[in-house]
Amino acid sequence: MLKRIAYVVSILALLAGAWGLYDRLVNGHQNAAYGSYVVWGLWVAMYLFFAGIAAGAFMIATLDLLFGIRVMRGIGRLALWVALVSLAAALLSIWLDLGHMMRIWKVYLQGSIGSVMAQMVWGYTAFGLLTLVCLILAIARPAARLLRVLMIIGLPLSLFISGAVGALLGVEASRMFWHIGLLPVQFPVFSLASGTAAMLVAVGLFGSRQDPLRSEQLRLLSLATVVLTIVKLYFLWADFSQSMYGNVPQNVKAVEAVMYGQYWWAFWILQLLLGSFVPAVVLALPGPGRNGHWAGWMGVLVLVGFAAARANIVFPALTVPELEALTTAFTGPHLTFEYFPSLMEWAVTAGITGMAILAFLIGSDLLPLRAKMEVA
Amino acid sequence: MPDPLQTKDILLRMQDDLRRALEKPPQQRRWVMVIDLRRCIGCHACTVACVAENKLPPGVVYRPVLEEEFGSYPKVTRRFLPRPCLQCDNPPCTPVCPVHATYRDENGVVIVDYEQCIGCRYCITACPYAARTFDFGRTYTDGTAEAEGLILGRSRADDYERAANFEYGVPHARIGSEESPIGNVRKCHFCLHRLAAGILPACTTTCIGRATLFGDANDPDSLVTEMIARPNVIRLKEELGTQPRVYYLV
Repeated sequence: MLKRIAYVVSILALLAGAWGLYDRLVNGHQNAAYGSYVVWGLWVAMYLFFAGIAAGAFMIATLDLLFGIRVMRGIGRLALWVALVSLAAALLSIWLDLGHMMRIWKVYLQGSIGSVMAQMVWGYTAFGLLTLVCLILAIARPAARLLRVLMIIGLPLSLFISGAVGALLGVEASRMFWHIGLLPVQFPVFSLASGTAAMLVAVGLFGSRQDPLRSEQLRLLSLATVVLTIVKLYFLWADFSQSMYGNVPQNVKAVEAVMYGQYWWAFWILQLLLGSFVPAVVLALPGPGRNGHWAGWMGVLVLVGFAAARANIVFPALTVPELEALTTAFTGPHLTFEYFPSLMEWAVTAGITGMAILAFLIGSDLLPLRAKMEVA
Repeated sequence: MPDPLQTKDILLRMQDDLRRALEKPPQQRRWVMVIDLRRCIGCHACTVACVAENKLPPGVVYRPVLEEEFGSYPKVTRRFLPRPCLQCDNPPCTPVCPVHATYRDENGVVIVDYEQCIGCRYCITACPYAARTFDFGRTYTDGTAEAEGLILGRSRADDYERAANFEYGVPHARIGSEESPIGNVRKCHFCLHRLAAGILPACTTTCIGRATLFGDANDPDSLVTEMIARPNVIRLKEELGTQPRVYYLV
């Protein structure tokens, strides 16, 4: 029943996305709410979100396909599929954000080796290809030595690409809110946490109830989510408290924008209450932590919290003017320091999310993602 | 020592300075802009001249004038700060570009290659002065009514803004909805196309207070060389190490 609802919802989301895509392709960026001051909006935040899930899901896959942890047996293919689908959603989201989408080839053939963005594009491309080959091998030749070799390469690569997203923002000395050494360290942890949450959803809500390891896998993923939530909250505390103590105006304003600005509800309600505290408490309990529905829905909440968290990293730093009087210096469309995604942006994001969910469902129905395993 | 700002019309002097500079190889020039904030009256003529010169669409601005108000009535004063691209010698916006689309040219001016730029806008986030804007493809005649036989409308009204500008010496007409510079990051380039023709930047010639000075700082006889040696010179956010080529006299 839940799967049918998911199919319907994802198809409806795709329809909304089709309208958004039409608007995007016909009118370019004109109907987007981001501008020349808040230059990156919802699509960049969703790119960070989906890319994080992809890297995290790959890390989870290594527990089965590389390290051979008994309780995680059979989860590797599913995790690789989640990684692949998420990565496609991430790359689609960021591709649509480009001013000249058809020039993306230039990053490959004429890229700047010193640009973190170029490094990231190359890294994600390599990661995507590697994940695809790993999935094919895991399905067709699970005992192949090449699979283990690729998983060995993929593990540090997943760390690199998720850290690179943090570095992409962290290298910008002009944005105090981003320019902290902690950012590239935080992002792989965020990725692992969001990948773990995605696997809670995949196994908990859509996994086979006949799977004898399911309950134990859910318990492990639940506990991992609890621990990663605590680490995540510690990072948040370290980040914000240092910013406030440091008292650099541009930084303090960005932190205040997160906590008390127009996105206060996204921070306090989505990111902290629903995305962190509620799932951490529920998943720490032995019963719900093993229960497919409880664990799965808590995974959904964690993911919603992560989407809000990614947005809270991207937008607020850009809403603080580089020069105070810029806000009134010159007026015109797309020259504002306030941002709330436009209908077209939401529609495109809904479509991309719908596409990812639909691809996941079709893959889980048609591909042999869960191996028939023997339980020791 | 006589005040150079009083001895000769400074536009004529800067024109002479420019002529001398253009006789040198580009690598030996150091284009510099000096903005005398005591002379700026906040008329925004430079902003408008820049918009007209480069045919900037809505939402794209190269040289806004920032205004700040101090005090309360009747003791009120206002301060104006024109902000072109600061053409940093150590620009944070160029190394982040994933495709080498923005770089310092042989004159040391930070430029954007419109045919190379993919529109990722990473450089905008890297600039500490917000000197870059994105061309969203808008026109001033967006939404203009049109009715055959009754109202001439947009197709006739937008001829001017669809006509080519000549930034970087290349004609860029706004014909379609996706051709560059639409979808590109855009910025002040010290009117390189005018300099190549021996003409000062539009903002400089338009400034009614003679507050904007331009020239070659490698020429010891140029006006800007004299000005940047003064003790009352500042540069914006110098602590970031960007080494801007725009100086402010305060």
